[in-house]
Amino acid sequence: MSYVILNGMYKDDSFIPRINQMVSDEFQRNNYVGDTVILHDEEIKPCLGCFKCWVQTPGICIIDDYGREVAKKMIQSDVLVYITPINYGGYSAELKKAIDRSLGLISPFFRVYENEIHHEMRYDEYPNLVVIGTLDKPNSDQEEIFTELVQRNVLNLFCPKYSSQVIYTDDDEATIKKKLKNSLMEVGEENE
Amino acid sequence: MSRQLTFLMCSPRGDKSASHSIGSYLVSLFEEKGIVVKTFGAYRTLKNQEKTEEMIKSVNDSDIILISSPLYIDQAPYMTIKLMDIISEAFQQGKLSNKTRHLFAISNAGFLEYYHNNITLKIYEQFAKQNDIIWAGGLPIGAAGTYAQYPIPEFLKMLEQLPEEDPRNEIYTKPTKILDSVIRSSVNHLSKGEIVPRDELKKLEFIPMPLESYVNGANNGWPQAAEEFGAKDKLRDKPYER
Repeated sequence: MSYVILNGMYKDDSFIPRINQMVSDEFQRNNYVGDTVILHDEEIKPCLGCFKCWVQTPGICIIDDYGREVAKKMIQSDVLVYITPINYGGYSAELKKAIDRSLGLISPFFRVYENEIHHEMRYDEYPNLVVIGTLDKPNSDQEEIFTELVQRNVLNLFCPKYSSQVIYTDDDEATIKKKLKNSLMEVGEENE
Repeated sequence: MSRQLTFLMCSPRGDKSASHSIGSYLVSLFEEKGIVVKTFGAYRTLKNQEKTEEMIKSVNDSDIILISSPLYIDQAPYMTIKLMDIISEAFQQGKLSNKTRHLFAISNAGFLEYYHNNITLKIYEQFAKQNDIIWAGGLPIGAAGTYAQYPIPEFLKMLEQLPEEDPRNEIYTKPTKILDSVIRSSVNHLSKGEIVPRDELKKLEFIPMPLESYVNGANNGWPQAAEEFGAKDKLRDKPYER
């Protein structure tokens, strides 16, 4: 089983690296193989909105940079993890830049699914999704938006299983470990 | 002294986009009311430090901030979030004065249903709240590709030519007229320093045609678009399949 962590932290964040390490440790304890992409360390250009990943080089972004590699890692993993500061209820700009560039993982064609319009799948299998958001303190409005955003991503990215978790920077070590373990269990083999 | 508006045009597609077309229509209506508008394209603003500083100065001087942005995978694209981060940072650093400002936003999607935009509008509301900006509301627009091709005023003129019994009246004329009316009403309220009433914005919450009809119509376009690049038979390729 494999995983990839897309770490959307901002450069000055001292909390997320700790979370990232704990998630990696938990995967390794469960014999997963994978790696972390610290997104702000990579040269990834923003999506141009050109749709060429749909109509010119289907499935591959026209921009030849590390964004392509990230999209490939995303679809080839069993578990995809986003770690991000919760930004107005949504994801960080760094994480969103990588997600925008993964548009080619879905098909341009529409379908009606659960009485809504969504895109068709390009691939036969998609990874499970774990989304971990951090906040300095509880914020019910932003947490609700965050949870809803993850649910919408799951619908549009065809993730068979998912979990979303909010971790506060003043959570103690045991609480953080428990939250992370629960999140990973929700998408792991233990739950099958 | 004239009221000022900062227009953040956040589509990476620039002036070919629905964000530009719809946002520019609002801008023209604001200008008719004597509001001074400064426009910033997200791409150029982020690439150029001077332009970024000019945008911050404009926000500082503005009574209204207007964001027009597409929906990319359930949220505004990277560039929109980055611009919001830059503005938030300026607030935190005390670079922006404490004046009354309103934020109004347009979120447009290629999906037919307006409500795919709802999360993004809630995110804008949080951005406003975090920075003591008054959230004035937002327009959730579905099937927005039409307005990239045909700006609203021109489109309405074209639609006037349709015979009364033409079925396209239900699909295009009625929704575009409602959108036009909500836009005009929004501009009226915002120009007077008011938020846009929720009941007004709720007029956009309808689905103008059966989902299947929209899906069939939209799906016919992709093979045509790919033909130009010799990729018509590759649309369902799986280049990263394990």
